[in-house]
Amino acid sequence: MTPSPGPGAGDVSPSGAPGPAEPATAASSLKAAPPGSGGAVLRCEDLRKRFGTRQAVDGISFEIARGETYGLLGPNGAGKTTTISMVCGILARDGGTVVVDGKPLDVGTTSAKAAIGLVPQDLAIYPDLTARENLVFFGRLYGLGGRDLAARADEVLDVVDLADRARERTEHYSGGMKRRLNIAVGLLHRPRLLVLDEPTVGVDPQSRNAILTSVEALSAQGMGILYTTHYMEEAERLCARVGIIDEGRIIAEGTRRELVALVGGLDKISLAATGDIKAAAAEVRALEGVREVTPHEGGLDLLVVEARRLLPRVLEAVSRDGVSVRSVEVVEPDLEAVFLHLTGKALRD
Amino acid sequence: MRAALVIAARILRQRLRDRSAIIFAVLTPLGLALAFSLLIPNDFSSFHTNFIVIDRDGGRVSSVLVNSVLPAVAGAGVADITPGTTETAAADEIRAGRAGAAIVIPPGFSDAVTAGRPAEIRLLGGEFPISLEVARSVVSRFASDIGATQLMIATTSATGGTVDAAVVARVQAAVAAPAPISVSESATEDLQANLATFYGAAMAIMFVFFATQYGALALLADRQVGTLSRLLAAPVSPAAIILGTSLAGLVLGLVSMTVLIVATTVLVHASWGSPPLVAILVLSAVIAAMGISTVVATLARTPQQAGGLNAIVALSLAAIGGVFIPLSQAPEGLVVVSQITPHYWFLRGISSLASPTAGLADIAPSVAVLLAMGAVLGAIGLARARRALVP
Repeated sequence: MTPSPGPGAGDVSPSGAPGPAEPATAASSLKAAPPGSGGAVLRCEDLRKRFGTRQAVDGISFEIARGETYGLLGPNGAGKTTTISMVCGILARDGGTVVVDGKPLDVGTTSAKAAIGLVPQDLAIYPDLTARENLVFFGRLYGLGGRDLAARADEVLDVVDLADRARERTEHYSGGMKRRLNIAVGLLHRPRLLVLDEPTVGVDPQSRNAILTSVEALSAQGMGILYTTHYMEEAERLCARVGIIDEGRIIAEGTRRELVALVGGLDKISLAATGDIKAAAAEVRALEGVREVTPHEGGLDLLVVEARRLLPRVLEAVSRDGVSVRSVEVVEPDLEAVFLHLTGKALRD
Repeated sequence: MRAALVIAARILRQRLRDRSAIIFAVLTPLGLALAFSLLIPNDFSSFHTNFIVIDRDGGRVSSVLVNSVLPAVAGAGVADITPGTTETAAADEIRAGRAGAAIVIPPGFSDAVTAGRPAEIRLLGGEFPISLEVARSVVSRFASDIGATQLMIATTSATGGTVDAAVVARVQAAVAAPAPISVSESATEDLQANLATFYGAAMAIMFVFFATQYGALALLADRQVGTLSRLLAAPVSPAAIILGTSLAGLVLGLVSMTVLIVATTVLVHASWGSPPLVAILVLSAVIAAMGISTVVATLARTPQQAGGLNAIVALSLAAIGGVFIPLSQAPEGLVVVSQITPHYWFLRGISSLASPTAGLADIAPSVAVLLAMGAVLGAIGLARARRALVP
């Protein structure tokens, strides 16, 4: 796939500027998109859905700004797909509202749906049609036609690296190629909101990385993205904000740093080094964000706030005293730990 | 509407590509039409059979049939007439293939006819139905003439007057007069066309269910391959999705029936009647079949289940509706039950078009019932499909 110009993943990115350390919140009320982010492309409020006696979605609210990638992170059965189905008008809601690009969305409405590109968890392409025929069919449903449709089909086939296989029936494609075409169909009509429901499930590592790179590129281009996953690494890599969902509720929401703060943990940096370790420890202790420094025979152990941001300054400080660093290990509390902390369960339970 | 057309075009493309539509909507009915062309002789002069006649009555009326009507059939080269003695012996001859049918005139037949009482002529048939149909045609024409004579006498009596002896004499003379040769020749030509039309129409109404099912199955197929969610997420109403699948079924059904009608007309000289009236009947039958296919599809979870269920329903309705044997040969109870099937009403409509003077009024009952079936069952099926679409 086409390489990404940048991750656009907020403070999850090592190179991204950190935002203010606001506490993450339990998400029973509507969460506004970050200020200055260009307005909400999706606004969901108090979504509810019951299947029989099971309350699959119980009052979920969130908002996504243009150019923002928002992650719904939770284990299988948490309510992610049900939420997405209601957002896309596939599933009738028991309660709540969905507004897409300023237009209210319901099962029977069509104008709001035109702004959404859906990439379902299961493949949603016709195996007995070629890639191009699939694209042309779905493009026509979205009102595209003629040269515009043909040109747009070529564009998305290029994006997902399927241009040279466009005239083959998709039943002959590999799993990864089908996944990429599945995404291409969602992108075809230039949606303002792209909804990806666990797009990397069952995908080989190479295709998975290509998919994630594409998502980063689309976000950088200003597309609002709703991304569900139960892979913590994907949420951390892609999403500016994450809603942690369990048993039909968003139990916490915020940036990665805000969520990690809920755990109360600090990052740990272990330096294997030789030289004047004590002097280096004194230099490092003076840095803002360093909470604890423990020198030892083989180097230094530090407890810090935001290790990735602080690491260049730590290395610069220890090098001033002539210390030679042989290796660096960073251990950060992650969203898995947050989920475990909040629910007592692992994400893959 | 545009979205519905896009969806219908996609389904038709898929069905053409996997050849299933070609097989069920074109090749199978065409193959059957060719089989008919072998089964039913194009040149009736090449058809010949043997009738056994058992006249236990020996009266004046039966002698008209035995000595005048049947010899005329023999004279036309259609059948040899052989006198028989017992039904058992006749049945043995038919089973052995030495006779095509037997005509049995019971004792007291002439007296019953003369007295205006019900009378019966029995027919025995074998494996080859055309011989029996020829015999039925000849005897039916004779019985119809007798019935008209009885009615004339009865009407005269009912109007208050006595039956004039001269009238009775004229009637008896008419009955006794030899049947014109032209009558039996005409009857045999009609029969050939009627058989070809009957079996053509029967196969058409049976196979239309296999053609229209592709529309109804499309939604299940979309659910199975996962594309239904994408269709529902598109800026297209659920009604447009259902309309698109229905349009595909309609087109396939119309193509299937049209191919069979054209093929039987060209190959076996079937006489379908006025093309506009046939078109109305065909459209009505396709709509009825779509209604049933739609309901059947909503009872299944997969296209495979629905296909099997649809085949069972199609064949069952065909058996009840008189597709495999003419209802004229069926038990009375089956004739009553057959009226719940679209097959009965379609075949009845096609049959009524046999008359050169047939008009819209003649097929109106069939069209009305077929459209009502399509509307009621289609509404039920579409409502169930819509509920399944958006849970």
